[in-house]
Amino acid sequence: MTTRGHTQSYGAPGQEAAAPKRPGRDRYLDLLRSIALVRVVVYHLFGWAWLTVLFPSMGVMFALAGSLMARSLNRPARGVIKGRLRRLLPPLWAFSAVVLTLLFAGGWNPSKDPDHSGFWGLAEMVNYVIPIGAPPFPWDIGSESGLLEATWAEQAVGPLWYLRAYLWFVVASPLLLWAVRRAPWATLLAPLGLTAVVGTGLVSIPGETGNAVTDFAVYGGCWVLGIAHQEGLLRKVPRYLAVSCSTALMAFGLWWASGHLGPEGWNLNDIPPAQAAWSFGFVVILLQYSPSWQELPGRLARWDKLVTLSNNRAVTIYLWHNMLIMATVPILDSLYELSFLQSDTAVAALDSAYTILTFVLVWPLIAAAILAVGWIEDLAAGRAPRLWPDGARKRTRKRPVRRGSSRP
Amino acid sequence: MASRARRPRAATRAPEGSPRRRLPMRLLLPLLLLVAMTAMLMLRGYVHSEILADHRVRSEAGSDKVPEKILRGGPVIDTRNGRVTSLKVPDHRLVLTFDDGPDPTWTPKVLDTLKKHHAHAVFFVTGTMASRYPDLVRRMVDEGHEVGLHTFNHPDLSYQSDKRIDWELSQTQLAITGAAGIRTSLFRPPYSSSADAMDDRSWPVTERIGTRGYITVVNDTDSEDWRRPGVARIIRNATPKAGKGAVVLMHDSGGDRHQTVRALDRFLPAMQAKGYTFDNLTEALDAPSAHTRVTGADLWKARAWTFLVQASDNITAVLVVGLAVIGSLVLARFGLMLLLSAVHVRRVRRRRFRWGEPVTEPVSVLVPAYNEAKCIESTVRSLMASDHPIEVIVIDDGSSDGTARIVEDLALPGVRVVRQLNAGKPAALNRGVANARHDLVVMMDGDTVFEPSTVRELVQPFGDPRVGAVAGNAKVGNKDTLIGAWQHIEYVMGFNLDRRMYDVLRCMPTIPGAVGAFRRRALERVGGMSDDTLAEDTDITMAIHRDGWRVVYAEKARAWTEAPESVQQLWSQRYRWSYGTMQAIWKHRRALFDRGPSGRFGRVGLPLVSLFMVLAPLLAPLIDVFLVYGLVFGPTEKTIAAWFGVLAVQATCATYAFILDREPLTPLVSLPLQQILYRQLMYVVLLQSWITALTGGRLRWQKLRRTGVVEAPGGPVPRQRDRGGADRRPVG
Repeated sequence: MTTRGHTQSYGAPGQEAAAPKRPGRDRYLDLLRSIALVRVVVYHLFGWAWLTVLFPSMGVMFALAGSLMARSLNRPARGVIKGRLRRLLPPLWAFSAVVLTLLFAGGWNPSKDPDHSGFWGLAEMVNYVIPIGAPPFPWDIGSESGLLEATWAEQAVGPLWYLRAYLWFVVASPLLLWAVRRAPWATLLAPLGLTAVVGTGLVSIPGETGNAVTDFAVYGGCWVLGIAHQEGLLRKVPRYLAVSCSTALMAFGLWWASGHLGPEGWNLNDIPPAQAAWSFGFVVILLQYSPSWQELPGRLARWDKLVTLSNNRAVTIYLWHNMLIMATVPILDSLYELSFLQSDTAVAALDSAYTILTFVLVWPLIAAAILAVGWIEDLAAGRAPRLWPDGARKRTRKRPVRRGSSRP
Repeated sequence: MASRARRPRAATRAPEGSPRRRLPMRLLLPLLLLVAMTAMLMLRGYVHSEILADHRVRSEAGSDKVPEKILRGGPVIDTRNGRVTSLKVPDHRLVLTFDDGPDPTWTPKVLDTLKKHHAHAVFFVTGTMASRYPDLVRRMVDEGHEVGLHTFNHPDLSYQSDKRIDWELSQTQLAITGAAGIRTSLFRPPYSSSADAMDDRSWPVTERIGTRGYITVVNDTDSEDWRRPGVARIIRNATPKAGKGAVVLMHDSGGDRHQTVRALDRFLPAMQAKGYTFDNLTEALDAPSAHTRVTGADLWKARAWTFLVQASDNITAVLVVGLAVIGSLVLARFGLMLLLSAVHVRRVRRRRFRWGEPVTEPVSVLVPAYNEAKCIESTVRSLMASDHPIEVIVIDDGSSDGTARIVEDLALPGVRVVRQLNAGKPAALNRGVANARHDLVVMMDGDTVFEPSTVRELVQPFGDPRVGAVAGNAKVGNKDTLIGAWQHIEYVMGFNLDRRMYDVLRCMPTIPGAVGAFRRRALERVGGMSDDTLAEDTDITMAIHRDGWRVVYAEKARAWTEAPESVQQLWSQRYRWSYGTMQAIWKHRRALFDRGPSGRFGRVGLPLVSLFMVLAPLLAPLIDVFLVYGLVFGPTEKTIAAWFGVLAVQATCATYAFILDREPLTPLVSLPLQQILYRQLMYVVLLQSWITALTGGRLRWQKLRRTGVVEAPGGPVPRQRDRGGADRRPVG
């Protein structure tokens, strides 16, 4: 194993600024991010708790983000943080504008909402613009008979915690990077220790601050792992040592989970120490075997465009997917109105296929969202807006020839 | 490589054995075995209610949808063909009903008591118990009792789907048919009590069961014997008022039922004296019997079911015995290894311990090489640093990658290259021996790196004239990867503790090809290397033993070898080793009946080697099968505790071995993972070797794909001396 150079695939920082298309993206990391995104959507759709064990998406996404952040931090920290915020916030604003419009149209008045009244309640509205904490939303809006479920606001706004945590991590990154360089092991393990304190009920911080601190602790390990990976720290550990220790940590996570099952059973999201341990170990193994692909190998190559697209529109997909899942409900409900689907057997078939139909329907909706608001990500990044950035080359002379040969 | 694979050899090749057909077969057989074993264990877990069991019980619900006449009616509810009627048992007749059986302890006693007092009763059996104890069901039917269904594994049916209910009925019916050859039309729902306790949840189930042709029998007199309230209390509970008839609920299973049996023994004669008769249900109602004979295909299907359940119970029992055998074998081996290694260490690390006169005579080092271009240079250069006088003979076995040329271009003093057409490693070694000038011959592999002192340490035991061959201490050079670390543990623990043990027992089975030394006379007396087996090193070692020589272990003669880095390479290496060991044992089987040293080896060495290297690993999968079974169905915590117990024993042994070898202990962190990934690979390989041996297949021998890693950090030999350097691993 003399050559395990994942870093070579990344361009030097100066190169990145010069070439906006980033010639050397590591497709392995891209693939992981795509899998994580799809897993999140599927999980929010079907609600299968075991998916959180199968692939700890949030941990993987934070690790990837941490790695990219550390890579950028070769430049002055202030500029990097500014750049991150500039890229993150406009897509959020678009989302917030739509959600707030819907909420206000639904008759929500935050100043009269008993949960969010008063000065602080209104101050929380700032979180729709800069997600320092969780934005306020009504628990019930509209009526049971309305188009959307009454709890749609919670569902739609729920995923925003990720942006809040991301923001915290981005701001903390210069400090974390410094700490990783000074005391790598202590920094790697500190979030796990913090989780043991705030995630087990040993110390409980009330309210939204508590949530923020817990999330920071639970996923902090993964973020720092990303930094350590970028710094080349992980490569210094013999693979057997890393894999063995992380397997032990994951086993501990499962064991802890088995004794602290939440209302949804094996849903690690409800069990902070288990989530922290499992995600940490999982990410260590994924990064240890990080093969550094210039392009997707073998059979994975056919997913190339989707991987590229989902990576270019990760924020859009993440922000909008839950709301779009909500939006499938009224669309599917309208099927029951169709005249040829009125028989009992047809209704029964619709009932049994409902979740599957949701699953089928949500992807076109996500595609529509990408078309509608995805370009904001490009604007935010200071690029020319693109409608459908799946990495396909612009029509060249070769294309008709290739098509002709493969499809007679 | 191809030519090596087609070396002319013992023509044991199966005539139809084309590689394309043989390979799936080898994978298929272990797989089938595993599937069959798993299926049997699943079946057992299933009829022992360890899977699919549902212990929820519905709390009471409203009863406004239950017909009034049912709520006020008798305990025998008939909802067949849209009827809604219920019956009471006539006066002075008692129908005893026993639930949840048959039980191997208490049901025979209940039956004995009933027989003694000439009473009949109804047994509501569960499918699981009826499948496991078919003889008792048959006895019930033969002695005039009626049996009824009490579902397969006793769930609360109001929670179950229609499909599941149908399945519960038919599966239980299958078990009863398999046991006694009859069908029954009586049914009692689990957790039922009396007719007036019917509610909106259980009534639809009762109606549904009626449509399937069953009469639902609840009770009107509950003896509450399951509470074990004392014999007198059971009798009082079971006695109906004023000579009325009754369906009495009792239990013959689910715990200690001696109170029930003793109560019966008093209750029956007392009530008979009051003019009661004890009939089965249809007798009491003067109705036709609830049993109908089953014949034909249905009967055979049911018998097959009963047979399978019995078989699964028996097979599990056999497997448990096997597990005990393998458990004690493993522990005995560890104990023996620790004890004898300690003896060995005490012996050879004694102060002023000497084999004899110090051996200073020059030595011939043979390096058979086949396509070793990547490694050969560091191999030869490491020999140049030797602190013992040597001549090096590289035998190039028809390499196609210029191995010989590389060595010649080095132009090192005292290094000769002998070329031959590709003829295999044994032939190359024999050629080397023929070319060797000295009487002591060291053999090593082309991918192995010696320390400067290795040769000297390796030949010192020849100071004792009885020693004919010496095994060195082979070590894994590339141990940073998981698979490397696992092999490192295996080498240090398995091979080196093993070698000490076998040294003390004087039956060392193998001198590693990577580092071993021979007396030329010993080699010549046994006729040199042979290509009868795939493990020529094991074969020659056994032959030398049989010739009366001692074979000892030189722990300080360390050689760093490159271990396979992919599962596939490891697989083919181990396949060759284990199959070759089997061949060698078979080749030397006659030593069992020889006299003298050969006989001693045959009667001590061969059985030990066969037991530990060939038979024990065959049973090893049982550990994992039961681990999985225990985790899924069984007492999960105890299973995990037992697993950690075994792990602790292994960790102890491994730690001891590492300390003896003065190795850092960190690679031992991969020991737990080794237990759940690596060990299984090893026994699947062994299983395949067994199948190859039994089917007479022949093995292609695949060469390791070298990466040349072992040489990588050290580079030029002189630098290898300062092994404390921070920038490199302690690998030559």
